[in-house]
Formats: sequence, C-alpha cells, structure tokens
Amino acid sequence: MRRMRGTRLAAAALALGLGLAACGGSSDSGDAGSGSTGDGAQLKVGLAYDIGGRGDQSFNDSAARGIDRAKQEFGLDIKELEAGAGESEAIKEDRLRQLAEGGYTTVIAVGYAYATSLAKVAPDYTDVQFALVDSEDATGDNIANIVFAEEQGSFLVGVAAALKSTTDKVGFIGGVNTPLIQKFEVGFTAGVKQVKPDAEVQVKYLTEPPDFTGFNDPAKGETAANGMFDAGVDIVYAAAGGSGNGVFKAAKAKGKLGIGVDSDQYNLPGLAEVKDVILTSMIKKVDVGVYDFISSVKDGEFAKGVKVYDLEQGGVDYATSGGKVDDIKAQLDDFKKQIVDGTIKVPAQK
Amino acid sequence: MRRFAPRAVLLGLAAPVGALVFAVLVCAVVLAATGHSLFDTIDAMVTAAQRPRTFVNSLNSATQYYLAAIAVAIGFRMKLFNIGVDGQYRLAAMLSAALAGATWMEGLPSVLRITMTIVAAMLVGAAWAGVAALLKVTRGISEVISTIMLNAIATYLVSYLLNPARLAEERPGSNNIGTRPITEGGQVGGIPVSGSSSDLFGLVFLAAAVGFAYWFVLSRTRFGFELKATGLSESAAVASGISVKKMVLLSMLLSGAVAGLVGLPQLLGSSHEYSLDFPPGIGFIGIAVALLGRNHPIGMALAAVLWGLLDNSANALDLAGVPREIVGIMQGVIVLSVVIAYELVRRYRVRTEQREVGKALGSTRDPAADGPKDDNREEASA
Amino acid sequence: MPTEPAGGEPAPAVELTGITKRFPGVVANSDVNITVRPGTVHALVGENGAGKSTLMKILYGMQQPDEGVIAVHGAPVVFASPADAIGAGIGMVHQHFMLADNLTVLENVVLGSEPGSAVALDFAAARRRIRDISDSYGLNVDPDRLVDELGVGERQRVEILKVLYRGARTLILDEPTAVLVPQEVDELFGNLRELKAEGLTILFISHKLDEVLSVADDITVIRRGTTVASVSPKEVTARKLAELMVGTALPVPELRESTVTDRPVLTVTGLTVTGADGRRVLDDVSFTIHAGEVLGIAGVEGNGQAELVEALMGIRAPAAGRIALGGRDITRLPTRRRREAGMGYIPEDRHRQGVVLESTLWENRVLGHQTRKPSSRGPLIDIRAAKADTERIVRDYDVRTPNIDVHASALSGGNQQKLIVGREMSADPVLLIASHPTRGVDVGAQAAIWDHIRRARAEHLAVLLISADLDELIGMSDSLSVILRGRLVADHDPATVTPEQLGSAMTGAEGED
Repeated sequence: MRRMRGTRLAAAALALGLGLAACGGSSDSGDAGSGSTGDGAQLKVGLAYDIGGRGDQSFNDSAARGIDRAKQEFGLDIKELEAGAGESEAIKEDRLRQLAEGGYTTVIAVGYAYATSLAKVAPDYTDVQFALVDSEDATGDNIANIVFAEEQGSFLVGVAAALKSTTDKVGFIGGVNTPLIQKFEVGFTAGVKQVKPDAEVQVKYLTEPPDFTGFNDPAKGETAANGMFDAGVDIVYAAAGGSGNGVFKAAKAKGKLGIGVDSDQYNLPGLAEVKDVILTSMIKKVDVGVYDFISSVKDGEFAKGVKVYDLEQGGVDYATSGGKVDDIKAQLDDFKKQIVDGTIKVPAQK
Repeated sequence: MRRFAPRAVLLGLAAPVGALVFAVLVCAVVLAATGHSLFDTIDAMVTAAQRPRTFVNSLNSATQYYLAAIAVAIGFRMKLFNIGVDGQYRLAAMLSAALAGATWMEGLPSVLRITMTIVAAMLVGAAWAGVAALLKVTRGISEVISTIMLNAIATYLVSYLLNPARLAEERPGSNNIGTRPITEGGQVGGIPVSGSSSDLFGLVFLAAAVGFAYWFVLSRTRFGFELKATGLSESAAVASGISVKKMVLLSMLLSGAVAGLVGLPQLLGSSHEYSLDFPPGIGFIGIAVALLGRNHPIGMALAAVLWGLLDNSANALDLAGVPREIVGIMQGVIVLSVVIAYELVRRYRVRTEQREVGKALGSTRDPAADGPKDDNREEASA
Repeated sequence: MPTEPAGGEPAPAVELTGITKRFPGVVANSDVNITVRPGTVHALVGENGAGKSTLMKILYGMQQPDEGVIAVHGAPVVFASPADAIGAGIGMVHQHFMLADNLTVLENVVLGSEPGSAVALDFAAARRRIRDISDSYGLNVDPDRLVDELGVGERQRVEILKVLYRGARTLILDEPTAVLVPQEVDELFGNLRELKAEGLTILFISHKLDEVLSVADDITVIRRGTTVASVSPKEVTARKLAELMVGTALPVPELRESTVTDRPVLTVTGLTVTGADGRRVLDDVSFTIHAGEVLGIAGVEGNGQAELVEALMGIRAPAAGRIALGGRDITRLPTRRRREAGMGYIPEDRHRQGVVLESTLWENRVLGHQTRKPSSRGPLIDIRAAKADTERIVRDYDVRTPNIDVHASALSGGNQQKLIVGREMSADPVLLIASHPTRGVDVGAQAAIWDHIRRARAEHLAVLLISADLDELIGMSDSLSVILRGRLVADHDPATVTPEQLGSAMTGAEGED
C-alpha cells in the first residue's frame, strides 16, 4: 500500500518536474534533488538491474541481497527497475534518468551494461550519487565503481577443481564471451595449472555478443555441459549466470560435479534439487559491495572512484557449503594467503 | 498507385486500427488477470510519450526500425523472406564503424567520411545478403534457411573481428570492447530538441530519403514493377519476360544494402563506436514493423514510431509498477492480429470489388427483365 | 418452365423448382426449374459460366440453395452434403477424375465405402459386385487393373462405376466429353444408352450441342443463371439451341479469303525439348509460319504443346534445334527480347501466366510490355500513357469493367482474356502464339477474339494456334499439324478435314505415316 502511494507521488513529482521543465524550456536535468531526503526521511534508493533482474539466482540476486540487508537495517525507499533483452542504449539511459528524476538520490546500476549510459547520465544529476557495479568504464565525481577481483576467486575454485578431478580434465562454461567473463576463465585456468600443469581445461562460451542470452539460458548450459562430460571432463565451472542451472542439471544426470558462481549457489533455494553436485562456488560478494555503498551514502561518506573487492577485502571467495572441499580447505586457504600477500599474482587478462 | 478513393483508404486503415484495438483489449485482459490497472498503465504510457526525451528516443528507435522494415519489405514485395536483416546490419555497422574510426580517415572532409561510411555499410549489407541470394539463385536454397544461418555466422564473425588483435581497440581494464571511436568529423550531429537530453538522430533524414526512394522505385520504375509482378505471380512474370533469378538477386542485394544502413543512425549519431553493447535484434523488429505497416512506406513509418513508443515507454511502466513485459505482449498481439486483420480485409475488398464490378455491369439481375437482345454476357458463376 | 407432373406419368426422378443461389455480388442461379423424367438422358446446356456447375453442386448437396425446392421421385428433399444426395440415389461424375493412380480399380471404387465389417475388408464380394455392375451396364471395367494403366475413357467409366457401386439411380455427368476424343465420346454415349435402358436417369451437362442432340431425350437450356427453355431434341436444330444458349446469333470460326504470304515469319527447325527425366517431350519439331498465316496445332493435351509454346517463348530452354523469327536466330534470346522482337503470347493458363490477379487492369496491361512504349519511358513506368492505352484496350476489345483500376481478379474469365488479347495485340506483334485463346470464354468473347485474330492476320500477322476445340482449329487455321508424343505426325488441310479425322490422327489411330 505504501509502495503504491509512493509510486503515485513519484509520478506526480515527475509530472510536475516535466511541467516545470517544459515551462522553463530547460533540459530535464537539475531539479532531480527536489525529492531528496529531508531530515529523518528515508533514503531513496533506485536500482537498475541487468537482464534477468531480481530472481536470477545469481548476479542480480546477489545485488538484491545487499539492498535487502541495507533496507532492513536502514529502512529505505526502494525502486527497482530491470533491463529488457536487446534494449537500446537510450532505454538504459532513460531508466537511469527516470530514477534520478523520480527523486531517487542514490542510484545503483547493476552490471557493466550500464557503463555507457551512466557516463552520459551522471553529469546531468550532480545531486544524485551513482554506483556502477562491475565496471570502471564510467567515472565521475558522483560515480562509485564497485568492481571485483573475479580472477582471484576463480583461481581458488580452479585449484579446487584440479585437486578434485580424477580425469585431469575440467571445464569452463562462460555465459557470454565478454572481457568480464574472460577474467573468470583466465583465473580459473591459472588455478588449475597451478596444481596440475598438465590438466586440460575445456572452454566454452554459450553465446557471442551481442547475443547476451548466454547468461539466462539453462538449456544451452545443459547442452554445453553434457558435451564436456561426455568428453571426459568431470568438473565444470559455470560462470554463466542463470545458465549455470543447466550445467548443474547435466552434472546431476551424469554423476559429475559443477562449480557455482557469484552467489554461494549451494544455499540458493532455487537450486536445492541440484545442490549435491555443487562442489563449491566462486562467491562474488556483490551484496557486500552494494551494502557498503549504501551504508557509506547513509553515513555521508560517499567516495567516488573505483573500489576493488578482492580476496583480501573478502569481496571474492570460495564457498564451503556442502562440505565437499573440507578435505582440501587447508590447501585452498594456503593459496588464498599467497594471493593476498602477493606471492601469487593471478592474471586477469589472457 | 490506385486512384484515390476514400473507401480504399478506410479499408487500408481498418486492419491496423482494428488490430491495435484488439491488442489493447488483450492487454487489458492480461493486466486485469495479473491485478494491474489498465488505466494506470495507459496513463503511464501516455505520460511517458509526452515527455520530450522519451519521444525523441522513440523517434530515434523508429528511425532504425523503419530502415530495417524497408529492408524487409523489399524482400516481402518479392515474396522473399530476408530474415537476415539482423546479421546484415550488425556486420555492416561493425565494419563501417571500423572504417569510420580508422586513423587515416580523420584527415578527410566530414562529408566524404560520412558518405564513405554509409556506402561501406550498404556494400557490406548487400554482400552479406548477396550470399543468400546466390545460394538461392544457383542452388535453390531457401533464403529463409540461409539468412538465418548467415545471422549466426555474422554474430561469430563480428565477435571474431571485435578483438584487439583485429578491428577492436585495446582498452585495459574495461569490460567493454569496441572499435576505435569515430572522431567528430565522422559523426553525424543530432538535432537538439528542447526539453530532451537526447538529440534526434541526424540520420532520420536518411531514413526518410530511403523511404521515399522505396516508394518511388516500387511505384514508378520498371524495376519496381517487375519486382512487384514477380512477387504476385512468378509464373506470369516469367511469361512476360522478367528474369526471376535476376530479380531475386537484385532485390536481395537492395534489401541487404538498406539493411546495412540500419545501424548507422545509432553508430554515427550516438555510439560512435561498435562495441559489445551495440543494440542487436533490430532486424527482427523490422519484420514486425513491415508486417504492421503492410510494406507501405507511410504505413511502416507509423508502425515504426508506434513500436518505438512502446519500447521506450517500458521504463515508465516499470516505474509505475506494471511489468514491462506487457509491452512485449502488446507488440506480439498487434503483429499477430494485424496479419489476421489484413487477410480479412483483403477478402472483404476482393468480394466488394467483384460485387461492384458485377453491379456496374448489371450481371446481377432479375431474370424476368432479361431480354434476349441484351448483349451483356458477364459470367455469373462465382 | 416448370412442368407439373401429369397424371398417370411416373413422378420425376428429379425436380428442381425455383432454385435460386446467390453469391456475394452475383446471382449464380435464379429461379431455375428443371424436371427430369426417370429413365431418360436429360441434357442441361448453357455457355461456360451460365450457372450449370453451381446448379449441379446444389443438386449434389455441395452447396445449398437460397430459395427453391429439390424433389426426388416426388418427395421434397434437403441435401446438406453429398452424402445426403448419395443416400437419395444421386451420384456425380466430376469433370476432373478423382482417382488414385497407384491403386487398382477395385480399391478406387471401394475407397470411401469400404465393404465388409469395419475390421476386415471383403474384397471378394466387392470384386463380384463390380463385375456385375460392369457386365450389366456394358462398362467393360476390370477391377484388378491399376488406374495408372487406364486411358481417359476407361477412367471415366471407372468413375461412373464408382457412382453406381454406391447405389446411384440418377447420375450427374459434368461436362463428361470435355476430356475425350471423338471416338471415346461415342463409346461414352453407348454406355449412357445402356444405363438408360436399365432404367437409370442421366443428367448430362454440356455446351457441345451436337453431342447433346445425339444423346439427350430432353434438353433444358440455362442462360445467365436461369432456365430459359425446355425443348425436345427432335424439335430443335443445333443452331436454334445455340441461339437459345447465347440469346443471340452464333459466331462461327471461319477464315475468309487466304491472306497467306510467302514471307516466313517463324522458322523452327529440329526443335527438341527434354523433360526433367531426360525424356524427349518435344522431338525434332520443324515448321514454318508465314506472314498472314495461321498454323493450327491439333493434339490431345500433354503431347508436347505446352513445351513447344514455352520453348518458342524462351521460357524453357531447348535441348536442340533452332528458332528463327523473320530470319533472325532467336534460339538463345531471353523471353523479354523475344517479346520486344515482336512475339505476342496468349498463354494457356491465364491465371498462372496471363494476368496477375492481384494487380489492377492497367498494371496488367503493362505486364510483358514494361520495356516498351507506351508502358514505360526509359527506366520509369509511364503510368499516364499506360492507363490511357488500357482505356483504349477496354474500349476496342470490349472488356467489361467499370474502370481500369479494379483488380484483374474482379473480372470474369472472358473479360480477362479479352484484356490479354488486347494487350498482346497492342504492340503490333509479327507473331502471335495463341494457346487455347478462347478456352473458358463465353460465346460473345469468343467471337470477338476470333475477329481480332482474323483482322491481325489480314495485316500479315503470323499466328500459331493451339486449341482443344477442333471446330476452332479447323475453322481458324490456314494449315494444320497434328502433334503426338512430342512429334508433328501429320499435316491436314483445314478446308477438307473433319473433326473425326483429326481426332483419329490425334490419338495415333491413323498411323504415323
């Protein structure tokens, strides 16, 4: 009920803003702060998700957990919008502008897809504090970049895969062949080779850009994983968002193992059926990044620029849920220590 | 072109308007079933459309949809289904972006640079469509199959070429990868619109020119006549001396050339580079817009604007708490119902025309009044 | 003229009273009254498009009348479907056979009314019954032969047998002679007389008057959807009947004085065309047509006429041979160049090749002439000139249409054909290839088309005429050749040859010498 009223209010404010803008003949920037927080009012936070949105069991959900936690602790007024498949840059841009104009003084763009549009939008709304997850491509005085050292976490699950593999063949399935996902692949391969230099890593990307369905197509994931399992691979690392579900399904059917990504996928309710084949997960704590960001804004300590969440920060990690890596935990933690103290430099690019 | 007749215009409008009304009804049912208010939805959409930025964005989307629709329509008029507009424009946009962004181009005058970019895009589009045309003409392979396959190949070709070792630019630390940005001289400036943060694409005029050329070629030239005749009856075309193979080849090349233009308004007007986030899928939207606009140059323009408005109002719906997917449902229902509506209207038109010919010639008559000297021998059977 | 059954006479086998059927825009049948006496052959005659077929569809339950009553043996009936009609003892033999080639006669006959229980087919009983029917009506049908092996006449007898097998006592035959050569027509009439002798009733639809007069006991004439006369064959002549059909005097296909010159226009030598399977569908054909000459080609359909025409027009590539137009070798020219060189073409199938149904009349006038004046000027279509010339054609060739902006589909077949003839004549051709120019055309249009051909011939047009109508061929040709299995097998003088002689030559009965 309150949410509904909020929406109407926002719409009214929007219409008013539009009228003013039309009268003044000025551009639609500038008056965004009019709905901003007064004393004691709730912080208004807008989220622009990437394709899949809340409920993707992966990346977006991780961001959602962060916002949920922040809401519980600080009591926020939240508006969540979601990207559509194949939408244009202008629509992404419009989404961020609508949030800014709707009085949301804190706007989080979840996913590097928003980099270009945010770069255009942010200068027009200097009163709004933006966060961009997963990308350093947009910078500005009111932009905080939340990025993760995915290669480090991937390195650790690569080590786990190498230690657990009996066939010395492991697989990597990437959702879409983008530089970001290549970071996962490079780290994973380095981890595998660290332990077993002769082990084979089979690599497969589900789709090529601009086809981004690879992040959200379990059927494709299942097919690709089946191919790998048939070729003798016994553990597959699925860095493929929602498509990972298919990888786990294939693993379950063939009695093999999979490695999850972004969230601790063993504990996700949506994956309860296949959780017994999840060896571990490369946890990317987007929730922590999001929570930290909101918390900093709340405390009036907004910091622009890049913040890297790496192993040292606890921004990435491997998951122990399910207990399948308990026996090699010592080795994994040893590698973790080496990475943190710089003994091992994990490559991030091919 | 047929003589202007109010009824013909009414009949022409009946199908799309009817389909639109039907689509709104279906969406109302869907909204009611999911517990959303129809009026809030319409309110949100209308409000969105009135916002200058959304309107400009819609026109910008429509510019590209329109070009794609014309590319599709050229094939449709020949009963050729160029499903490959999507791959054609992406490949063309990528390669022409690489050309336009190249360092050596920077010394050239702006007009020459832009012209070269446009010509290159058309050539690439035509070449890619030409592959399907050649396969059809020489081997009889359905253009539907081959263009679908070529779409997939184009995707992989683009991602192969979009690599720092090839046509893309090295961008350390970035999650995106793209061609070298086109510098100012190679860009086409937008038209500022008061109250909007986005400019109207300068190449909206290119789309209008292409639309005019489409109309002119089809209705005024021999080539257009032969193209339409081939589409309506291949056997009659052959008997009247039209080389169907030549027409297939030419119309596919033309379709591909126009398809090559689809990405340019975005490329030269906004993105200035071809990168991973370059909008895909416009070719398929073009199919829907061509169907909705009935291959008519003005019809497709209206359809493209409608489509753009729907796409760009999705955010406003999301903000108003209405699932954005309602837009997709609406678009799907519109296309589906418009196809049915056109067929109904076509049948109605054929029937009324036959009736009118009959009436004008008096073949329907009271046999009692039928004198033997009446020299009218219209056939009476239907 | 409805005839009330007179006292004492048996009730009519079929009686139609006041039948009216409307289609959108046209009344196909209007106040039709027919009384068919049992045990007679009753002919229903009328021009193409006069409404005969619609009427028969109504009688066979395929369409329902809007008004009127059908009575069978005195009792009113309503047929919702052909099954009802069959139930009432009415059977229909369609103009186009509906037989499966790769099944035997037996299987074809029982198809749809399988004998025995639902599980086991009792073929033995069915075979016995077919033999019985065949013997008692003299149909001479062997139940175990493959339909594929049968000739046209035999197939027709299978169709008749099929109807009898289902218990029909009244048979409707829709244009049964259209597909037959004269000898087969005689055989068919023999069969019909046998059926009549056995007490069956035949309703016979035709527009061939000689046939009607020789076989029918009663004749009903239908014109423009309504019955205009019921006559006895003893009381009328063919000419009188034709005038009843047409409502006016009848055109005759005839050429007056010869206009043949010694200047060859089309010279064909050794023309050979092979089919997809490598078989020669046109085999070493040679002939010459002179200016002012009409060369008629007679032949049963499917003996290479279509291939000959397509090879001449450049639609089909010949395997061997030479085609010369006015001394110029055109063997390798594409269709468009041949047309530009002065070849006009009236195609056999006007809906497939002659017109684009979904285009307007003036657009159809441009078709095939899109590279020439007045249709085009350079790369542009000259819409104004094309329209003006279409108006001229509509006027000169009497195309019945309210205006030239209607689609060709709105016109009747005859008017479409007149438009085609006008178009092909418009470019002053030196050679006209006319394939069945008056097929499916009403008598008025037929006369007009003949007239135009005659006039052009007088102006030294060379014409290749292909037709299934032997009267037309004989009447309109200066010389006649017979085509059989892809070869020109015989030449005849149209001044002396009879349709029967031509028919024999067409089937090869005359020998190939």
